Amino acid sequence: MNRRDFFKIVATTGATAAAAGCQQATEQILPLVVPNEQLVPGVAAWFATVCRECPAGCGVLARNREGRVVKLEGNPDHPVSQGALCGRGQAAVQGLYHPDRFPGPQRREGDALKPVSWDDALKTFAEKLGGVKGKGKTLAVVSQLENGSLGALLDRWTQALGGRPRVTLEPFGYEAIRAANRATFGRDAIPYYAIHDAEVVLSFGADFLETWLSNVHYARGFARMHTFRDGKAGTFIHVEPRQSLTASNADEWVRNAPGTEAAVALAVLKLMLEGGQAADRRFGDAVASVDPRKVAEESGVPLETLQNVAKTFAAAKPGLAIGGGVAVSGSHATATQIAINLLNAAAGNVGKTVRFGPDSAYGKVTPYAEVARLVQAMAAGEIEVLVLGSGVNPAFTLPGGLKVADAIRKVPFVVSFAGLPDETTALAHLVLPDTHWLESWGDYSPMEGVNGLLQPTMKPVRDARQMGDVLLAVGRTALGTEAGKGPLPWESFQQYLKAAWEPVVKDKWSEALSQGGTWREGAAAPAVAVSPRVERVDAAAAKLDGGEGLALIAYPSIRWYDGRTASRSWLQETPDTMTQTVWDAWAEINTETASKLGIRQGDVVKLTSPHGAIDLPAYLSPTIHPGAVAVPIGHHYAPYHLRLKYVPAGSASANPMALLPAAADAVSGGPAFLSVKVSVARTGARRPLAVLQATHDQDERELARHVDLATARKEALGGKKLHEAHLSMYSEHEYKGYRWGMAVDVDACIGCQACVVACHAENNVPIVGRAEAAYGRQVSWLRIERWAEGLAAQPHNMFLPMFCQHCEVAPCEPVCPVFAAYHTEEGLNGQVYNRCVGTRYCGNNCPYHVRRFNWWNYEFPSPLEIQLNPDVTVRQLGIMEKCTMCIQRIVAGKDHAHRDEKRAVRDGDIQTACQQTCPTKAITFGNLKDEASAVSKLANAPRAYHVLDEIGTRPSVTYLKKVVRGGHEPEPRTGKGQA
Amino acid sequence: MSAPERTPPPIAGGAHVAEPTYADVNRDVLNTLRPPGNLYFAWMCVVGLILTCGILAWTYQIFMGMGAAGKRTPQMWAMYITTFVFWIGIGHAGTLISAVLYLFRARWRTSIYRAAEAMTIFAVLTAGLFPMIHAGRMWFAYFLLPYPNQRYLWPNFKSPLVWDVFAISTYLSISTVFFIVGLVPDIAAVRDVSTGWRRRLFTMLSLGWEGSDRQWRHYRRAYGLLAALATPLVLSVHSVVSWDFAMALVPGWHSTLFAPFFVDGAIFSGFAMVLVLALPMRHFFHLHAYIRDRHLDAMAKLILTTGLVLTYFYICELFTSWYSGDHIEKASLFWRLTGSYSWALATMYFCNCISPLILFWKNARTNPVILYVVSVLVLIGMWFERFNIIVPSLGHDFYPYTWGVYIPTITDTTIIVGSFAWFFILFLGFIKVMPSLSIVEVKETLAAPIKDTRHAGHH
Repeated sequence: MNRRDFFKIVATTGATAAAAGCQQATEQILPLVVPNEQLVPGVAAWFATVCRECPAGCGVLARNREGRVVKLEGNPDHPVSQGALCGRGQAAVQGLYHPDRFPGPQRREGDALKPVSWDDALKTFAEKLGGVKGKGKTLAVVSQLENGSLGALLDRWTQALGGRPRVTLEPFGYEAIRAANRATFGRDAIPYYAIHDAEVVLSFGADFLETWLSNVHYARGFARMHTFRDGKAGTFIHVEPRQSLTASNADEWVRNAPGTEAAVALAVLKLMLEGGQAADRRFGDAVASVDPRKVAEESGVPLETLQNVAKTFAAAKPGLAIGGGVAVSGSHATATQIAINLLNAAAGNVGKTVRFGPDSAYGKVTPYAEVARLVQAMAAGEIEVLVLGSGVNPAFTLPGGLKVADAIRKVPFVVSFAGLPDETTALAHLVLPDTHWLESWGDYSPMEGVNGLLQPTMKPVRDARQMGDVLLAVGRTALGTEAGKGPLPWESFQQYLKAAWEPVVKDKWSEALSQGGTWREGAAAPAVAVSPRVERVDAAAAKLDGGEGLALIAYPSIRWYDGRTASRSWLQETPDTMTQTVWDAWAEINTETASKLGIRQGDVVKLTSPHGAIDLPAYLSPTIHPGAVAVPIGHHYAPYHLRLKYVPAGSASANPMALLPAAADAVSGGPAFLSVKVSVARTGARRPLAVLQATHDQDERELARHVDLATARKEALGGKKLHEAHLSMYSEHEYKGYRWGMAVDVDACIGCQACVVACHAENNVPIVGRAEAAYGRQVSWLRIERWAEGLAAQPHNMFLPMFCQHCEVAPCEPVCPVFAAYHTEEGLNGQVYNRCVGTRYCGNNCPYHVRRFNWWNYEFPSPLEIQLNPDVTVRQLGIMEKCTMCIQRIVAGKDHAHRDEKRAVRDGDIQTACQQTCPTKAITFGNLKDEASAVSKLANAPRAYHVLDEIGTRPSVTYLKKVVRGGHEPEPRTGKGQA
Repeated sequence: MSAPERTPPPIAGGAHVAEPTYADVNRDVLNTLRPPGNLYFAWMCVVGLILTCGILAWTYQIFMGMGAAGKRTPQMWAMYITTFVFWIGIGHAGTLISAVLYLFRARWRTSIYRAAEAMTIFAVLTAGLFPMIHAGRMWFAYFLLPYPNQRYLWPNFKSPLVWDVFAISTYLSISTVFFIVGLVPDIAAVRDVSTGWRRRLFTMLSLGWEGSDRQWRHYRRAYGLLAALATPLVLSVHSVVSWDFAMALVPGWHSTLFAPFFVDGAIFSGFAMVLVLALPMRHFFHLHAYIRDRHLDAMAKLILTTGLVLTYFYICELFTSWYSGDHIEKASLFWRLTGSYSWALATMYFCNCISPLILFWKNARTNPVILYVVSVLVLIGMWFERFNIIVPSLGHDFYPYTWGVYIPTITDTTIIVGSFAWFFILFLGFIKVMPSLSIVEVKETLAAPIKDTRHAGHH
């Protein structure tokens, strides 16, 4: 080819490329909310807002890089989250960039939803609204718990158009707590529980470390109350028929027969009164008819256990009894909550750890009984237009007995504001995708005194419009009014919000916005004294329909809540800590019951109740009550999970809500989650679960270690230090500047998996899908292991977060032929992706097996690739990767200290992603060379140890032994092969 | 393998055991180089087809990623490294026969050493593919070579994998030189009777050999020197390969026993492979006069001896694991004996420890069928030995969280089978291009001719 030809070709191809480029839609490199001249490429901007993944309302900071949100972190100033975030919160960005998000408004044409322009969609909606205007109560509005401006606007809008009162749909509404508080304290509210101030927490099924009320906040509180510090540690007793994650964090887990919580609580109260331990003795009448011996027999809880619980609880100054969860939601729910109220009153906890005043937002949820009435009205054809806000999915989250889908089909016009396709949008006639809460204005008050403010953290990813804006526009059209006039005068929802906040913040609007809202110092308002009214409490067990069979425990899971977060692949691939299962739902059956029924692990079983039937693989557990079967609520797949073959084609959701009756609990008006017995039968099919942990038995390897409280206290006060002899022929490493290290407190870790999800978000960890994960190819850099000790039926669980140990004498380093694995000057095990040839020798030689290999080129389905952290390399196929201790954060931290502030890095300047999000502060990062740093102190603490220290790898990650409370130490191992 | 009509008449005397003359040697060896028959082409087709499948499977794996092979955490190494070590082991017998036995003046080596040497080179060429097949990014495998480069990269000489690169490339180059030097006089003999491209090729390869006295003196000295140079390699290569494992921490790998254990196993399997190749050669080319029963007997005895030594090493391995008192080491051993892969261990014990015992019986040592069956069993057993070291040890090591079972896929199995096809296609090609029996050395072992009537030149 000569020079002329070359230019010809270049010119032709260039012109073709340019012409082809003209046909493409314009793409914005910086999709900013407002073009910002202050934007510095490479520097993150942080926006404060409020997490709306569940009603807990944690304050979050969204990290915006070049106009795109890439990571969420808890807002350290916010009283609810206090800087932490749970896994669901961390995964919210996957909702924002969800591949299945509606690209724009959709209208039903035949069986399918077809795209339609916003103008047409709004016109259709306004016409329909005009049709029902003034026809009296034929318009129904259902939203998730919105107690701020959007809620107020919705109410105003509904009223203006003459609709039925708005229904706030939250499947977990805690109606029984409200009913009990009405009965005992005369207050229809859910108080603030000061778990952090309690010495002893006695929980009746309240899964406060998973979903109960505000799991991040209560996990923070639990850590303050329970984690061993300076010789002190609180006690936690949990009563539940199955060993949930919360139960396995208890010092004593009491397994009761399903539905006997009220009786157990009353028996404890009675024993307290009999023992003369109660501070307040007015409650004799309430428990007059309770016979602890009989309760012990019925509930299966030994009398001594009841006595011990009573003694421990009464001795606490103060204690705290709480109740909730699914086990406490049947016909005995209100009685149980009343008994709990009496326990708190008798022990003198009301006003101390049970605080009315800073009441929870949950008190404003529409009771389930009213939701059921609306569904009946729909089924009766009384509703003509149904408006469903984003975040609600009644066709999926309400009991199957209610036949919600059939009822919705009877409504002539259903509008949904959902951003993602779900079981309800499948029935909608018009879908007007709402903006994600990270793209929206708004406010939310999780408890009295705390008002969180939401602001758009980036421009909408899809052609979505904020629900408030749409309602204002459509409402005005339907009412025939103009902007600035009539009942809906505001131009936009933003204007409405600002107007609503004006009296509160005055000219401090931008301060409030940058802080993420307003709250009173200390959060807790002065306690309101409430004296209980004492009545006899019915100790009857929960009534279960269905005759013979196993009691169904359908419980909300920390990963999926009511199902609204199950479409996030991070949460699907993060294992359930107790079972270590990914990508699946399962039916947890007691091992003995299963062997009687001839069921093996992985057999697909059909659970049949009088209201429905579902098929699920069986998970055999020695811990669950033999008379119960437990199924997590809310499991379903997103369409793209099937499209990308993360799960086998044809995989379907299996939601136990389908098995539940329509009827509300008569006393509280709440849904009766514990109300049916189900028959369990093998279908003959098999679907082995994708379980990541091969065994929960550590085989005497002391990976997770424990120490009894007395010894821990003696050592802590005596100042004993970790002493390991390091014999080596080689000279010691010398660290010129820093030596980074971490410490993990096994006593603090509750196994919530928030760190695992945070690590996915921070480090661009890909998703591999069900089959690959089950085959040991998950890429997660961090895993939470559950190690069980003691009796199989009553194991003592320890949670061990395991990631690269950054060994000083690292087995991975010398075996790498190309120095891809090497030791940095700051004590990290570096991994140079570009050098890696992929011999995988390091992976074999790592005794912890924390190195992860890129078996394939992993996909980040569009637009999820926008979420990728620009500071972290996306790894190619064929190379090894692992935890870097968030090297990008270390570099940024050093850069900031050295260059901007001309100083050394201070302790606490740098936080790893896992540490940052940990609700219990179990993880500490810092400079091991600095003896005053927090991590050095922990590394030299008496409880410190290194995992597999006998191999001599000398890890930079130190673990602190779990402290087991006196009397509840794990017994010697009885056998191998715990499930 | 030659077509029936081309089969030469039986050697005078009718019996295959008659001592051939120099002329017979020339004729019989050159006969093996005659144009091949249908049977040969049929074999080539079968082997070629399998090789094609292997190449396609490898292409797929390069394109898709290592996930196509069944590897996982913790078995990041599995069948590729198993087969790599297997082929390196096979490559051992050749040099042992040609160099060590030459130095020890074991005269029975003459009839088999050429084939054994060729086998060595082909086995090392096959083994050499595996580090490439195995690497996650094989296109960067050259990062392991030490040469000044603009990347400022230098291999890590602490890594046993870099030692491997040196051990194997040294072994390959010395073996190749040794092989070519050994071929020179024979090639000259073939040159003199061939035509066309073969003649040009052989002229080049024979390096101007005329068979002069001076050439012979130099040739002998060079051959002896190369033999002396190659001898330590017999021990070093497989020792170095064994350190891939012994230098690692993995329980079941981390053992000082590994170097002698691997060397012995390599000789064991190498002789089995020599028999697997030599017995059909003898049958199809009617080489009974050269590969005689006493040769088979000698090789069978070596297999028996190395097999017994191997059994001793197995016992040592079990004993040291148990005697160490180390819980993790014992647990690993116990799982290998009783866990998911116990069938593989049982196969190995049967093939390597039990099956060679039949060779204590003299008749078995000269019975080609029994020898063939034992050799194949030994090869299977030795493949499983490496499998048992790699896969079950990794599957049950320090960390119980990741314990588990590796399951091969179609891709990696096809590549493994393809590697055998690659080896056999090289060997099949060799026997039709080069004299697979050493004309020179066979003649040396014969009684000197009293009167050479048929005038077969002594080259």
